[in-house]
Amino acid sequence: MSRDNGELEELIKRQLADPDLREHPLNFTLGQLWFQYRELLNRMERITRMSDAYQSMARQRELSLAERFDKQLRQLEKVARISDRYQHMMRELNIALKEAATHDPLTALANRRPLIERLKAEMERSERLGHPFCVAMLDIDRFKNINDGHGHDVGDTVLIETARVMEAEVREYDLCGRWGGEEFLIILPESTLALADDIVRRVRGCIGQLKVRVGDEVLSVTISAGLAQYRGGGESYSGLLNRADAALLQAKRDGRDSQRLAD
Amino acid sequence: MSNFSIPGSQSTPAIDGDWDHGTLSMQGDSYPENSYELFQQVFSWVERFLLEAGRPLTLELRLLYLNTSSIKAMMDIFDLLEDAHHEGKPVAVNWRYDPRNERVAELAEEFKEDCTFPFAIVALDSATSTS
Repeated sequence: MSRDNGELEELIKRQLADPDLREHPLNFTLGQLWFQYRELLNRMERITRMSDAYQSMARQRELSLAERFDKQLRQLEKVARISDRYQHMMRELNIALKEAATHDPLTALANRRPLIERLKAEMERSERLGHPFCVAMLDIDRFKNINDGHGHDVGDTVLIETARVMEAEVREYDLCGRWGGEEFLIILPESTLALADDIVRRVRGCIGQLKVRVGDEVLSVTISAGLAQYRGGGESYSGLLNRADAALLQAKRDGRDSQRLAD
Repeated sequence: MSNFSIPGSQSTPAIDGDWDHGTLSMQGDSYPENSYELFQQVFSWVERFLLEAGRPLTLELRLLYLNTSSIKAMMDIFDLLEDAHHEGKPVAVNWRYDPRNERVAELAEEFKEDCTFPFAIVALDSATSTS
């Protein structure tokens, strides 16, 4: 309210209260007008107060909604972050599980599962393209004597070392794995029997040069091997392996430390 | 006053609420088909315990894999504990993990991040961690 208004109001109040002016013809009119003016002012103040209250209520509501929204957003981000990490963990566990399911824990070579899978794939490839491929079954000679004479720890060391040399000596696209016990399988794609014969001879030679120290003693091993080339024409993988096995048996019968080719 | 027990399954954790001892234990994997239904029971039990029991509450957790809705549910439960903690009620979480899987501990750390109540992440003895 400006000073002029304030002065005017004071003047009107004084004049309405002045007994000398009570009989003035405009006194009643001014009184009515003054009354109405006060009423309007009161009403306006009330409306302003109410509207302010509404406004502050809406503001409160907005604040609490924004707060809740922010909280939900933070929670959602956290849930997503944790969920991503759980998925990451599962993926790593899956990889570890697959490794465990397809590899021999002692030598870390492939076990039968990937060997058979690869055999089937190579057989299909060979049928399709007419390329030759071979398998070689290798066996450590008189391995039982090592186990019995020096204990299983030494036997395990021999297996690990043999596997290491074998894997280092085969070609990059060959696959070698532990077939069982002291028996190893090498799959040699894109190879005739003659070529596979050379490769297996080299692998056997390298394993023969291995020296495993046991106390004062130095152990070395020899390898017998049987090789077979895939015949095609619907030969089964077990048929192929049986022929390699029979050749291996022949090598053993012929005095070990040697390799034989299946017909 | 009321104990509460849900046997575990391949996709749900074993849950045990012991009203007299003030412990709630959860153990196993959690990827239920309807996680709302499962965790609503847990949530209600914790809520009622905090309201009525007037005793300390400890959560004993041995959780491994949690799917997304289970993560959300666990965060809601931790929020309950956090509120109780601010009201001066004694609450605590012990999250035990197999030291062969350190990642579980890292994930527990993530949950712990916003909690100000006692939240311990403890490696199990390898002898007792058979699950």
